[in-house]
Amino acid sequence: MGDTEIKDKVQELLENTVNPSVGMHGGFVQLIDVKDKIVYLQMGGGCQGCGAADVTLKMGIERMIREEIPEVEEVMDTTDHASGQNPYYAPSKG
Amino acid sequence: MSRLLLLLPTTTYRTEAFLNAAAKLGVEITVASGRGQALTDQQPTTNLTLDFLNPEAAARRVVDFSEKVPIDAAVGVDDDTTVLAAVIAKALSLPHNSVSSVSAAKNKHLMRELLRTGGVPVPRFALYSVDDNPELIARTVSYPCVVKPLILAASRGVIRANNEGEFIAAFQRVLKILEQPDVSARGSLSRNILVEEFIPGQEVALEGLLRNGKLELLALFDKPDPLDGPFFEETIYVTPSRLPSSVQSAIVETTRRASGALGLREGPVHAELRVNPQGPWVIEIAARSIGGLCSRALRFVSGMSLEEIILRHAFGWGVSSLERERQAAGVMMLPIPSAGILTEVRGQPEAKAVPGIEEIAITAHITQELVPLPEGAAYLGFIFARGETPQEVEAALREAHRRLEFVITPASEAKIS
Repeated sequence: MGDTEIKDKVQELLENTVNPSVGMHGGFVQLIDVKDKIVYLQMGGGCQGCGAADVTLKMGIERMIREEIPEVEEVMDTTDHASGQNPYYAPSKG
Repeated sequence: MSRLLLLLPTTTYRTEAFLNAAAKLGVEITVASGRGQALTDQQPTTNLTLDFLNPEAAARRVVDFSEKVPIDAAVGVDDDTTVLAAVIAKALSLPHNSVSSVSAAKNKHLMRELLRTGGVPVPRFALYSVDDNPELIARTVSYPCVVKPLILAASRGVIRANNEGEFIAAFQRVLKILEQPDVSARGSLSRNILVEEFIPGQEVALEGLLRNGKLELLALFDKPDPLDGPFFEETIYVTPSRLPSSVQSAIVETTRRASGALGLREGPVHAELRVNPQGPWVIEIAARSIGGLCSRALRFVSGMSLEEIILRHAFGWGVSSLERERQAAGVMMLPIPSAGILTEVRGQPEAKAVPGIEEIAITAHITQELVPLPEGAAYLGFIFARGETPQEVEAALREAHRRLEFVITPASEAKIS
């Protein structure tokens, strides 16, 4: 499977499955690019800077992508989480 | 493949480090959180929502879950989830610390009682109810003293009082903190206030690992900024310690005795002690590892992170070496200087350019309402440094901090561009 095909499938997954759920936390996930079977994503809204963003990405989105498109070699988060202005869960001590 | 149940509060700083460590070990992970994760419905074997305030109910849920998805180790990352991990491990018949020992480590009063009974030096202390009259108590305590909640972490609600007037004000201030919804929800433990003797001296933090009841030292951090109150803001941690080796040995021995007095036998230990001419005094001991992002300051000769060591131990796998790297290392937790809205952070490139500085992680977000100690429960961020000596590391952290500027606007005036 080529990068273009992967891009289409990831886009479909984000639109139909991921974003309706993360949208309930005020967040969204965008596909930035697919290059050499590496998927580049960016999180926004409530996901940007969220204390649980890593869980959403690694335990949710990345797994769904790998299950759906086994050809994907890596999923990279390109989000500038430090600039998130409205994280759903803000980190605190501990 | 082995499966880890990782108990992660949604507000913890530790998520990335523990997930990376688990991925490196190649284990399957189920993340359990106290509040719903966004994709729990889509990934029901890897995401679980538990009632963290009700460990018994949470454990029953995990037992049901593990019939379909077997769990091989349960690990918590903070005081609350460490207790929960012990309850769950007991229910699943996995190796664990006793629930009573980790519960004692979480309850500052019970901890002190067990330490005192075990002959471990602790400040003199007394427990009061939120319904007690502070004016009456103020006449009976010795000064200076420290007023603190039983259950909160990282110096939240900890206030020094030097006289009766300061005591009454401190007691009333702690009462207000205990009334905050996130605290009052924690039940009876939020209905008491601990008052203890202020112990002068240098404060240190010990990071250790208990294996079959034996304490092994991972790192001893000096805290070079004096912690004399009125609030006890954590700032710089530097390791290795510059204290004489005999004093360091006494600190390790005191922590070993403290762990034993609580009944802790397995897993990470984070202890805070004060050292003065009378020797080391235990201020806190927790059955968890160091909080915040501070574990990034630790590297080990084996190439493992602190979290990998903790997870390997939880699975009962061997850890060949616990030796820390030769270099000195340190972290500065960036204190919140004033209340307001964070509108800008300046000087990060200049701070990062300081020799020895490895990373600056600003964890507060622009537009975040900042609440300083003693009411607050967050840092602005963390600075990490490495160098040949602890002195170099400390100097680098201070210089980097000096170059950072946090623009904080009073909440009533804040306009974010």
